[in-house]
Order: sequence, then C-alpha cells, then structure tokens
Amino acid sequence: MPFFVTGACLDVLDKSCIEECPVDCIYEGGRKMYINPRECIDCGACEAVCPVTAIASDLPLTEPNRPWRDDNVAFFESVLPGRDQPLGSPGGASGLGRVEADAPLAAMS
Amino acid sequence: MSGDEVDLVVVGAGPVGLYAAYYAGFRGMTTAVVDSLPEPGGQVAALYPEKLIHDVAGLPGIRGRELVRNLLQQASAYSPRWLLGQSADEITRLDDGRILLRLTSGTEIVTRSIVLAAGIGTFKPRPLPVGAEFLGRGVDYFVTDLDAYAGHDVLVVGGGDSAVDWALALQPVARSVTLIHRRDRFTAHEASVAELHRSDALVRTPFVVHALSGDRSVRRAILRDTASGELHEIDCSRVVAALGFTADLGPLTRWGLRIVDRHIIVDSTMSTEVPGIYAAGDVTEYPGKVRLISVGFGEAALAVNNAYVAGDPSASLFPGHSTAIA
Ligand SMILES: Cc1cc2nc3c(=O)[nH]c(=O)nc-3n(C[C@H](O)[C@H](O)[C@H](O)COP(=O)(O)OP(=O)(O)OC[C@H]3O[C@@H](n4cnc5c(N)ncnc54)[C@H](O)[C@@H]3O)c2cc1C
Repeated sequence: MPFFVTGACLDVLDKSCIEECPVDCIYEGGRKMYINPRECIDCGACEAVCPVTAIASDLPLTEPNRPWRDDNVAFFESVLPGRDQPLGSPGGASGLGRVEADAPLAAMS
Repeated sequence: MSGDEVDLVVVGAGPVGLYAAYYAGFRGMTTAVVDSLPEPGGQVAALYPEKLIHDVAGLPGIRGRELVRNLLQQASAYSPRWLLGQSADEITRLDDGRILLRLTSGTEIVTRSIVLAAGIGTFKPRPLPVGAEFLGRGVDYFVTDLDAYAGHDVLVVGGGDSAVDWALALQPVARSVTLIHRRDRFTAHEASVAELHRSDALVRTPFVVHALSGDRSVRRAILRDTASGELHEIDCSRVVAALGFTADLGPLTRWGLRIVDRHIIVDSTMSTEVPGIYAAGDVTEYPGKVRLISVGFGEAALAVNNAYVAGDPSASLFPGHSTAIA
C-alpha cells in the first residue's frame, strides 16, 4: 500500500492528481479522491502536484495519517453505501466514473 | 514484412526486457524486442530518467537514463532486432506449436517463445487536449531527431523531465523555444529547471494550449494564462507535447493469460498458463512477489533459460558462466 489521500482533500477535489497518474488509479468519491492500493505503482507523481498536500505515503506511516490510509483502503475493500459488492480493483478510474459514496471516515467527517 | 522468424520475442524494452534480450543473446537465441514507445527504458526512461537508483546490485548509485544506456549496450552485443514504436497485439498458434505474433504496425513474426516484460503495460503519450488534427503535421509527442527542428519556432508543452530536457536540447537548433506548463511548479529535475530558466527559452506558467491553427502544418498557437485567463498568440511551426504517459495492459488481456489485478500469474519457471509464453518483471504475480528492478532481472534470467530448454529439452537449464566466454 503505497500512496493514499488524506482528509485534506475533503470537499476540495482539485483532481490535478488524476492528470498525473500514469495508471489511472485515483478514483473520485463523493467528497474526496481515493488511490487504489492494488493498482498504484508507487511513482509519487500525484503527490508532487496536489495543491492542498493531501497525498501521503505509508513509508513511513504517521499516526495522524493511519485512519486515512485505512479509510482509503476501505473505499475499495468494503461495500460502499448504495452498492452490493466492494469496488475491488476496477482496472481504471476513468472507466468507472465518479462514485457517489465515501468510505466511513470521510463520510462522517 | 511477414515470414520473419526468431527463437524469442521479448515484449517490453524496460529494464527487465532489455536484460532478457541480453540473456537470450547470451544463450545464442535469435531475438526481437518490441516496445510501444520509440525509446527503450520502460518506466525508468518514461517516468524518472534523472532519478538516482541506489538498489541495483553492483551499482551503488546510478541515474535512470544511465542504467538504461548500460542495459542497451549489454543487450546490443547480440544484435537483437529492435521493433520500437509498435505494440504486440495478437497471437495465433501455428500447427507446429510456434506462435505467430502480430504487432500494431502490421509486422508479423513467428517465434518459438515470448517473454512478456510488459511492466505496467503499453505506454502511451498523454494526448494534447486541443489540436489533435495537427498530430504528425508539426505536433509530436517525442523528439527523435533534433535536426527536424532546425530553424523552427518550437513550442514545448509540459513540466516533467522530457519537456525540460527537450526544450534545452532544441535551443541550439531551433529558431526559438517556448516552454509552457500548466502549473508553476515543475516536476523535472531541479538542476535542469534551473538551466532552463538561465537559457534563452521563453518559459511561461501557468499556461495551457488554448488552440492551434495552421494550414497543412501548424503555424500559430493561442496560449491561455490560466491565472488571468488572458490569451496570447505566438508563431510556432513545431509543437512537442510532453504531457507524460499512461499505461495499461491493453492487448495482453486478450491472450488467454491469467491476469489478476493487472498482473500475469506465473510459476517458478516464469511460465504463464499459455505454453511458450513466459513473463518477467513488474508484470508478474506469484506469492511473495516484490516489484523492483533487481527482482525483475532475476526473473528475466529464469524466463529466458526456461524458454531455452523448452525449445531444446536436451539442453541444460544452466547457461554456463558468462566468465567462460572469451
Ligand atoms: C518514480 C519511480 C521510481 C522507482 N524507483 C525504483 C528504485 O529505486 N529501484 C527499483 O528497483 N525500482 C524502482 N522503481 C520500479 C521500477 O521502475 C520497475 O520495477 C521497473 O521499471 C520494472 O521494469 P519492467 O521492465 O518489468 O517494466 P517497465 O519498466 O514498466 O517496462 C515495460 C515496457 O513494456 C512495454 N510494453 C508493455 N506492453 C507492451 C505491448 N503489448 N507491446 C509492446 N510494448 C509493451 C511498455 O511500453 C514499457 O516500455 C521505480 C518506479 C517509479 C515509477
């Protein structure tokens, strides 16, 4: 699990990150963006362009970031409201489009 | 160009594919190397040519582009056929068990085995949002021949290493060089950005291309300052769009391979589930897989040696020591 999006993205959704990701693995939720941990290749291109410094790495994982890392994983591995199965690894964000839901921590923030 | 035959085709000229090509040559196999990009080097060349790599065995610190240059030199010792700027598209099994591989260019090659060193998939340049109609008529994604820019007013678009390197390289030959980037901050190596600012190139940020115009070829560009919204028109007869790359497995998903989360499942001989097709490097998946150059190099040697004995069961899997060669 390399890079993930923290709460700094909430209601910002600038999406500069999407324009940089070479593997189209940054997905749009209701209130923030999410990086698919199984599709990310750990290149860090997104981190450099985020205007609100919302992208963090788990090398090393800081304590304040831990819940956001877990929430970022939950977006793909848990069943989001209004869906009957986890998103898993859709193989590209542009094919899926915007997901009208958020992982638990983002949803209640 | 049909009817060409080789012992092995390596799909992907990233670090792992280049090393596989070397290894196949070392084993005496005739080899072709295919890559969708016109330049070899895979992720290293496309995403981080200027970064220092510290964890390749025997090389305490080497820049990406230098590692690629060394790998190319090593592979070239056995003169593989380079088929760059075209993708491996389709396979057909022939009656004698060999594979007919068709490339997107239409080229066909008959081969006994294939090593897929496909990394994260076929790299494609990110398209310029406007002016697509001028592609190949003044607008290009790669600078392959500096002389083609002699005397031209060149507009370079992008903020990464390729954009900045090309803007610098073009200055001695072009009539003028303008570089625009949609953000104020560059992702290119700091020293190259500093050199760019010291140079004669006109650097404008945060600017995007609003429109291109011309006749048979591009003549003028309208640029938009995204901060003020102002439009600026400039003369330009060549545009280099270096907006980065996207990658996906594309055609390989139709080859009957077992693919999980964009990776190809292999066994300990690096064989895929399709006979004669092996995989190595970032594209493989098995329990304990780690995606690093050093791991990919080991897998390349495994894949090629196993492909070699599959073609000649009486041969030894062990290649012999390279030190034994005169
Ligand atoms: C920013 C960054 C920093 C990194 N730092 C390090 C590091 O310090 N150390 C380390 O060990 N690793 C590092 N890595 C990872 C390393 O770059 C990869 O492990 C390595 O590039 C994998 O090599 P590869 O040859 O398997 O695949 P790639 O480099 O991805 O090359 C695959 C090639 O195959 C081509 N291809 C794919 N499909 C087809 C097709 N159908 N037809 C034709 N061509 C095709 C592609 O165009 C591409 O050129 C880093 C990666 C990034 C992005």
